[in-house]
Amino acid sequence: MPRYRIIYSKRGPARYISHLDLVRALERSMRRAGLPIAFSEGFNPHPRMSFAAPLPVGIEGLAEVMDVEMTAPVPRRDLADRLNAALPPGLAVKEVLEVADNAPAPMAVLDKAAYIVHLDADDLPAPLFECTVEEFLALDKVEVSRRGKNGREKTRDIRPGIIKMEVQSRVCGLTMRLELKTGSAMNVRPEEAMTALFRHAGIPVDPVELEITRMKLFAGDSGLD
Amino acid sequence: MDKQLEKILRRVQKPGRYAGGEWNAVRKDWSSTYIKMAFAFPDVYEVGMSHLGMQILYGAVNEREDALLERVFAPWPDMEEQMRKTGLPLFSLESRKPVRDFDIIGFTLQYELSFTNILNMLDLAGIPLRTEDRAGDDFPLVVAGGPCAFNPEPLAEFIDAFVLGEGEEIVNELLDAYLESRRRGEGWREMLLRLARIDGIYVPSFYEVEYNEDGGIKSVTPTVGGVPALVKKRVVADIENVYFPTRPVVPAIESVHDRAMLEVQRGCTRGCRFCQAGVIYRPVREKEPETLLRHAREIIGATGYGEISLTSLSTSDYSRVRPLVSDLTRKHGDTGVNVSLPSLRVDAFSVDLAKEVQKVRRSSLTFAPEAGTQRLRDVINKGVTEENLMEAVTAAFSGGWQAIKLYFMIGLPTETDADLAGIVELARRVLQRGRELVTARGRLKVTVSVSSFVPKSHTPFQWEPQDTMEELRRKQAFLRERLRGKGLVFNWHDPETSFIEAVLSRGDRRLAGAIEAAWRKGSRFDGWSEFFDLNKWLAAFDETGIEPGRYAHRRYNYEDILPWDHIGAGVSKKYLVKEHRRAMDGQTTHDCRGGRCPGCGLCPTLAVKPYMAGGETVAPVQDNL
Repeated sequence: MPRYRIIYSKRGPARYISHLDLVRALERSMRRAGLPIAFSEGFNPHPRMSFAAPLPVGIEGLAEVMDVEMTAPVPRRDLADRLNAALPPGLAVKEVLEVADNAPAPMAVLDKAAYIVHLDADDLPAPLFECTVEEFLALDKVEVSRRGKNGREKTRDIRPGIIKMEVQSRVCGLTMRLELKTGSAMNVRPEEAMTALFRHAGIPVDPVELEITRMKLFAGDSGLD
Repeated sequence: MDKQLEKILRRVQKPGRYAGGEWNAVRKDWSSTYIKMAFAFPDVYEVGMSHLGMQILYGAVNEREDALLERVFAPWPDMEEQMRKTGLPLFSLESRKPVRDFDIIGFTLQYELSFTNILNMLDLAGIPLRTEDRAGDDFPLVVAGGPCAFNPEPLAEFIDAFVLGEGEEIVNELLDAYLESRRRGEGWREMLLRLARIDGIYVPSFYEVEYNEDGGIKSVTPTVGGVPALVKKRVVADIENVYFPTRPVVPAIESVHDRAMLEVQRGCTRGCRFCQAGVIYRPVREKEPETLLRHAREIIGATGYGEISLTSLSTSDYSRVRPLVSDLTRKHGDTGVNVSLPSLRVDAFSVDLAKEVQKVRRSSLTFAPEAGTQRLRDVINKGVTEENLMEAVTAAFSGGWQAIKLYFMIGLPTETDADLAGIVELARRVLQRGRELVTARGRLKVTVSVSSFVPKSHTPFQWEPQDTMEELRRKQAFLRERLRGKGLVFNWHDPETSFIEAVLSRGDRRLAGAIEAAWRKGSRFDGWSEFFDLNKWLAAFDETGIEPGRYAHRRYNYEDILPWDHIGAGVSKKYLVKEHRRAMDGQTTHDCRGGRCPGCGLCPTLAVKPYMAGGETVAPVQDNL
């Protein structure tokens, strides 16, 4: 069956919907667009879509990646136009690629994501210096603890998952660019990395104030898009 | 406001409830639209977005060029906390404008336990709670409609005007009158007077209530000329051609009913004596199958829903249900669209229908015999026999279902322990039938769910008292002890919420202070067990000198003036008395669908007629009582 890779953005009001709601919204959009979506077999058929990485609620994504199968070929341009006309505000198709039938799922190859994280001046009680970031990156270990599904605290070292971290701008607060390991092998969340950085810098920042945008998803050094 | 809102949305559990931007949401130009109305649903987004009435009014108003209707729902407590902390006022989803900036706010009154949310929403909007405190100032007009408007009295001091009955037509008359009043530069009182002259609009401040020494109502009288002593509900005579939303707003986050809604008919002819909906949505009006097929096609095309639900009070009663289901399945099945039926009548026919639409028997089937013995089912006029039920469950178990849910009500008038024992026997008989027919015995499950009877206005049981909470608890314990065993599950509703529901549903104007006090003590989302707190309510009653039991547990006499007697649902009081007497005698009353009119008086009073698809009708008799 023809398979397409859809690069899309999830912004504005759409950033507030969960991954499950996104799946529902896309299925409905494709039905409105009259696209020949393929359904899974079985008692409870669902559209054959697979996503590179669910985006947490509240985070914007500029180039998210999903694969979808159709029962009949649709010209790429046509697919993008029809879907764009049927997507709710905040969701938009940027590009459609054809993917070989036997190509691995996007989730299987994903290993890195780039983020922009912004903090308003009001929410940053003290300036963060470049050298502090460099110092942080020079650490051998960055331990963070997270409550697991069983309710127990788990401590792990996220340093190997922080690939890049740099200050991009100091206009109206602080804007940073991050590259983090993402995917099944290792997964570091941007607010985790930022919380660890501010803890190291001794600046009390409420992580809920971080405005996060996922810029791009990568498989190795090449973008999934 | 957007920046502030963004910051807040990062701190709440489900920000999608407040973000707007859904498919088919209508955003009009704010400054160039003459009338701005907010539709306020006093419950959370996922509940409100499941409500067909909202979608109907949303579409109907937004079709007008001179008006806009935007949505607002009750903020969940986490959102309320953020809004109060930051001073963010209640806002609409579309324009994100403060609700206070609208011309009209329309609340829908779907259940009594949402009343405190109405006060909370007004307060969050920065609008004074009471009509008298809004008069003359530049505050929005606050109107309300929906089932609970049929006893509007507990809210009479908070709502400027109530709209009775079906809203499709009257909402336009309301907007026209508002517009005309503004054009003429009328004051607050003149405008309300203009509204009060529209059929179906009740302006409580134009009525004076006098009380007897024993606390009962002595009289309800209009205080100005030109307003009716009895305000009658509105009914859409031509259901076929009235506006129906084929481009409903598709919720952004999963809602309680997250599917296309196709209303196959309005009203129900069964005449169950406890049921208020059966009275207030009379007469029954079916839609033609061709219209429904066209609507279905349009809705699916405009929403992309994968499921279409045939909604009504009793869909198996729709005379063309079988061919409609076949046509819908044939036309839309291959694009992954399923048909669903919300409620099943208790019989084999309904199970056959369910078989046709439900290819996978994953969920359970639900039936509502309502009472455990034939005697009591006759009292409530629930035209269901044990044979019907056994046929239905036999069909269900042989058709592949392994789980059955049975709904009953306890505390019904004339109920004795023998009727409760009847529930147990019935459940056991159903379970036994399951053991005979279901091969995967381990999965066999019969769930008995009991709710507590709440007397409702405009029904033959409006005079009846509710059981005390102690008595309801005793009855629940009686059932719980006897409904133990493998394959049986027993669920019950908390009698405390039913008690408050009864107080509010039979209440009068003197409850205003208590409702406000309960809200001030923190009552919110009273319909949600995690928030409901009886003690807050009891303290509120105590503080305001109200004895709640007088409302819930009192038996009214036929001669008493009831708090809602000046509100006309169309069915005559004489008929309700007759029905009540028949109930006490255990006599049933036939369904008017069969062609024989039992004489409820509605059709001649409201100049409407029942309508069956294909043009068949029932000849109403004059009020011959």
